[in-house]
Amino acid sequence: MNVGCHTSNFIHVPRSRQFGNKNFSSLMLCSLQFSVSLGMQDDHRLSTSDLEKKYGTSIDKGLSSARAAEILARDGPNALTPPKATPEIVKFLKQMIGGFSILLWIGTGFSWISFGIQLAQGVDSAFDNLYLGVVLALVVILTGIFAYYQEAKSTNIMASFSKMIPQQALVLRNAEKKEVPADQLVVGDIVEIKGGDRIPADIRLIFTQGCKVDNSSLTGESEPQSRSCDFTHENPLETRNIAFYSTTCVEGTATGIVINTGDRTIIGRIASLASGVGNEKTPIAIEIEHFVYLVAGVAISIGVLFFIISVSMRYKILDSIIFLIGIIVANVPEGLLATVTVSLSLTAKRMAKKNCLVKNLEAVETLGSTSIICSDKTGTLTQNRMTVAHLWFDNQIYSADTSEDQTTQPFDQSSPSWTALSKIVTLCNRAEFRPGQENLPIMKRVVVGDASETALLKFSEVILGDVMSIRAQNKKVAEIPFNSTNKFQLSIHETDDPHDKRFLLVMKGAPERILERCSTIMINGKEEPLDSEKAEAFQTAYMELGGMGERVLGFCHLYLPENEFPENFKFDTDSMNFPTSNLCFVGLLSMIDPPRSTVPDAVSKCRSAGIKVIMVTGDHPITAKAIAKSVGIISATSETVEDIAKRLNIPVEQVNRREATAAVVNGMELKDMSSEQLDEILREHSEIVFARTSPQQKLIIVEGCQRQGAVVAVTGDGVNDSPALKKADIGIAMGIAGSDAAKNAADMVLLDDNFASIVTGVEEGRLIFDNLKKTIAYTLTKNIAELCPFLIYIIASIPMPIGTITILFIDLGTDIIPSVALAYEKAESDIMNRRPRNKRKDRLVNEQLAVYSYLQIGIMQSVGAFVTYFTVYAEQGFLPSTLLGVRVDWESNAINDFEDSYGQQWTKYQRTYLQWTGYTAFFVSITIQQVADLIIRKTRRNSIFRQGLFRNKVIWVGIFSQIGIALILTYGLGHVTALNFTPLRFQYWFVAVPFAILIWVYDEIRKLLIRRYPGSWWDKNMYY
Amino acid sequence: MATLNEKKTCSERMADFRRFVWNPETKLFMGRSLINWVWISLYYLAFYVVMSGLFALSIYCLMRTINPYEPDYQDQLKSPGVTLRPDVYGDRGLQIYYNVSDNKTWEGLVTTLHTFLTAYTPAAQHLNINCTNNTYFIQDTFDGPNKTKLSCKFTSDMLQNCSGITDPTFGFPEGKPCFIIKMNRIIKFYPGNGTAPRVNCTYVGEESRLLEVDYYPVNGTFNLHYFPYYGKKAQPSYSNPLVAVKFLNITRNVEFKIVCKIIGAGITFDNVHDPYEGKVEFKLKIED
Repeated sequence: MNVGCHTSNFIHVPRSRQFGNKNFSSLMLCSLQFSVSLGMQDDHRLSTSDLEKKYGTSIDKGLSSARAAEILARDGPNALTPPKATPEIVKFLKQMIGGFSILLWIGTGFSWISFGIQLAQGVDSAFDNLYLGVVLALVVILTGIFAYYQEAKSTNIMASFSKMIPQQALVLRNAEKKEVPADQLVVGDIVEIKGGDRIPADIRLIFTQGCKVDNSSLTGESEPQSRSCDFTHENPLETRNIAFYSTTCVEGTATGIVINTGDRTIIGRIASLASGVGNEKTPIAIEIEHFVYLVAGVAISIGVLFFIISVSMRYKILDSIIFLIGIIVANVPEGLLATVTVSLSLTAKRMAKKNCLVKNLEAVETLGSTSIICSDKTGTLTQNRMTVAHLWFDNQIYSADTSEDQTTQPFDQSSPSWTALSKIVTLCNRAEFRPGQENLPIMKRVVVGDASETALLKFSEVILGDVMSIRAQNKKVAEIPFNSTNKFQLSIHETDDPHDKRFLLVMKGAPERILERCSTIMINGKEEPLDSEKAEAFQTAYMELGGMGERVLGFCHLYLPENEFPENFKFDTDSMNFPTSNLCFVGLLSMIDPPRSTVPDAVSKCRSAGIKVIMVTGDHPITAKAIAKSVGIISATSETVEDIAKRLNIPVEQVNRREATAAVVNGMELKDMSSEQLDEILREHSEIVFARTSPQQKLIIVEGCQRQGAVVAVTGDGVNDSPALKKADIGIAMGIAGSDAAKNAADMVLLDDNFASIVTGVEEGRLIFDNLKKTIAYTLTKNIAELCPFLIYIIASIPMPIGTITILFIDLGTDIIPSVALAYEKAESDIMNRRPRNKRKDRLVNEQLAVYSYLQIGIMQSVGAFVTYFTVYAEQGFLPSTLLGVRVDWESNAINDFEDSYGQQWTKYQRTYLQWTGYTAFFVSITIQQVADLIIRKTRRNSIFRQGLFRNKVIWVGIFSQIGIALILTYGLGHVTALNFTPLRFQYWFVAVPFAILIWVYDEIRKLLIRRYPGSWWDKNMYY
Repeated sequence: MATLNEKKTCSERMADFRRFVWNPETKLFMGRSLINWVWISLYYLAFYVVMSGLFALSIYCLMRTINPYEPDYQDQLKSPGVTLRPDVYGDRGLQIYYNVSDNKTWEGLVTTLHTFLTAYTPAAQHLNINCTNNTYFIQDTFDGPNKTKLSCKFTSDMLQNCSGITDPTFGFPEGKPCFIIKMNRIIKFYPGNGTAPRVNCTYVGEESRLLEVDYYPVNGTFNLHYFPYYGKKAQPSYSNPLVAVKFLNITRNVEFKIVCKIIGAGITFDNVHDPYEGKVEFKLKIED
């Protein structure tokens, strides 16, 4: 299976696009047609004997095993080659150089260079730089391994998901039938297929019996198509005598010659074409890239600026380089990208629980920014099963319950006409339940039979109970199955009344054909002559039901007179020795594939969330429109151009197109449209249904939507959908009905095929976008508190307030769990009530976020941390005034009687130890203030008290972990000199607390003013 | 997918940037109108003024709690550091190399000692009193002028042969050089627990070889009346007592490693991290 399809990780995104051009679709179609015509030029035209000759096989004996092995060796196994996966090592190395890694590698390089220089100079502290370089390299490698592992894990979910049970095929070899694994099939093999089998290769049929195939995996049309041995069409895709690899045989049996295997099959070609489409950058990847550029830009410009400053302040070049490393390390949020990955995968897990399986982590957010959903109808919006929706008898239309879990039918069943109608429905039906499902709800039982009959069977089972026993009581004596010329189905039964020796003839079929055969009509149980008035009523009802997009069937019956048809009468269905006209019309039943009950709600949610839902279906426009109306894709009040024309009674051309909010576009019209015309339709109409479209047209529609700047989600299940799925910003495949190719091409798989699941996915996607903002704001803030020490150290020449290693302990230690915890934050308001984010304007990291975090909260944190720093030094003997400008002497190894403010004298080591105490104090202060930062980041607009301090328990896990890690580092590892922590006096933990409170209060005021004065200067500058 | 990042040429990017800096249509400078820039600048100005005020206030409060005479904690100053004069540092600590027959190699060292001892001339020490007790000079009250405490005199002549008075070359040309050992000041530190701490110098790594040393003052002791130290504010004229060591039998042209420890209760010299705590180590090589 294709597991390497979606390997782009957000940290680095493929830069080249193989198919970036807009003509992709036509290219794709052309090449498909081209390859099709090349590959199977005339196999469908050849006669059986020519085929035998061509493939060196025999219809009776099949290939010899030896010959088969030979061909197998030549052609390779009959399986689709998975698209070339990026070698694991390449993926791994990509993780090592993406994102911030480059900056950190530069830092590592600088550390080692300065180590080399200092070693050559024989400086004592040279090894510090070696260790720093090692630590930085480790950080990059570990985060790289982590990201790689995350990615591998998410790909594995998909790999396990798509693993299939090895398929077997019944093949004739050496004149013997035997089962072989399907991948051993070769061209020329004679295979037998029967109902329920998956077609194991492209097959030219040579013998068929009632064979029907479901080509939906190839064409998207789910209606089974019959197959025969006849050459019916020039185009191999259309002709009936070829069955395609990966489609299924629904019923009947067939025998055929394998003409293409593996990648040379039609499906193989489509799959290989689809995998040629490069993956595009996901919106979140673009956002992360933007963010990385921003932070890297800040890091590099501050680094270079201070490099110049320090050089011009007569620092040694080597020292300046070491400052540069510090500035880079302080600026780069080392742990952030890992945090983002974890947050996304947490959301992915949450979505999987809600039946959205995300293959590509970044797709989590893409779904949230979706502005157009192009949805299939069948199975996604609807339940994918025919259900009786309306009945017409006694001159009245009754509605039936079409919900998924119906157990009763509420309509009035007292009329004797209904009794008669129900009898016809029950008896004139060949569908049967598979045995052994008595305990299942009726709606869930598996039925053998076509869709309409299944619907009728379930309908009558719900109302009447045990249909099978009713049928047994009314023994069937003759039957004419439905065929397309008659357009009716007829059966003759004994009655269940032992005193009534008459036979009952029941018939159902196309309503107009049934009516033609009737002379009477049943009204309230009585037969009345069918006059023109009653025929008129029938017509009205028929039109009305048909107009709702429903499939209408007519039902009639006749009790055969006992004298003409005695008990032992032999009915002959060929000569039709019984009346088939002058019957009694009983009623109409109409069926539809009803919308899933959750869908209308989901559609209205989409609407309020500013997401346009476009239906793209292969169905008839009337049915499509009816379903669109019933689920709310076309709202009750809006009209199409045709509706307006009808209402105003004017020709369609005269209607002002702008008045029509809805549009139903036929695939035929779409074919002739230029892309400008399509754009106009997509722009002008808010409610659009595309009917009778081919899967290829789906791609054109997707491209049209993307031209509008929309983020497009597309659902699909067929193989032919895969280019559209790939082209879409987020391709959503159906987990149940979807073909493997579609699942491969998609970014997400809907496990329950339910449109409503997409909407919950959108909600999660939007939430994670908001929460990532919070995470990033949280993480960026302390960068300033880490950076300021370096800047002040350089400018004011005070002893170093915080060490590089200490910074890494914040970024990769105390801060990790809290920033992940923000991913669990609940939404502040109804996120489904706002418009999708504009991907050009609503950035993940915008100016306000950066400025507020860096220049306001970050500065507060720095002040708090510096107060702690000065307190520690002052209480140990160095008053703030003494500290200014002491750097050179302070760091000198040659001064071991350095005087403090009280005249005491310090050796170098005593000063260094104090410096480490300062690091620890600075570290502790940042940690304490990060607790406040974490709390304020829970919301961006609402008061913390409204959001609830304790609702998100994970935040508290984060806070305790943060403080716990700090305690362990300070008191547990305080004696490990290499880590530069010292056991800090306990009171220093509280010095920054007032500043932590200040941060909280300040942010509450900010939020209060934002809420009070929406749209004000404050709102514009302070809301991120 | 319609790619968001359509490739732009360099000139387009420059044009975009110029438009960002000054957009003539919307009159926006760097994405803001000028009045907006004024407002935002004023806000940040006010913000930083307030933050600076808060910082100043915090430091002011801190200073209010600070005792001007002695620090609150002496966590790192449990045992005094020891320094050596002359102090020439090489790659690996103190290294004193010189050639007896080459003036230039030792004149610098001699000058260092002279300069160092200028703080110990009688003139420099005139504020201090003569002390004769050999016990701690404990002062609970401020007996000195201007609310200070008294300090004991230490003059360079107490170093006798190493004072630079009798032998201005400190014995360097003879190959019997003088070194001055100084113990770091620590407030309210009582070294020796009643017995005067003394300096003891030995070879490092060659324990069998005997180092002949003359100690000045006698026995190389720091007299107890110089302790405790009450801090810069209480004892502005305090100067550390010194011990001079004169090495008498240094073999020429061999590099030796010598350690001078201060022996006394409360003074430790076994801290592996700190080579200058309670002891001073140095390399000495006298050539001829």
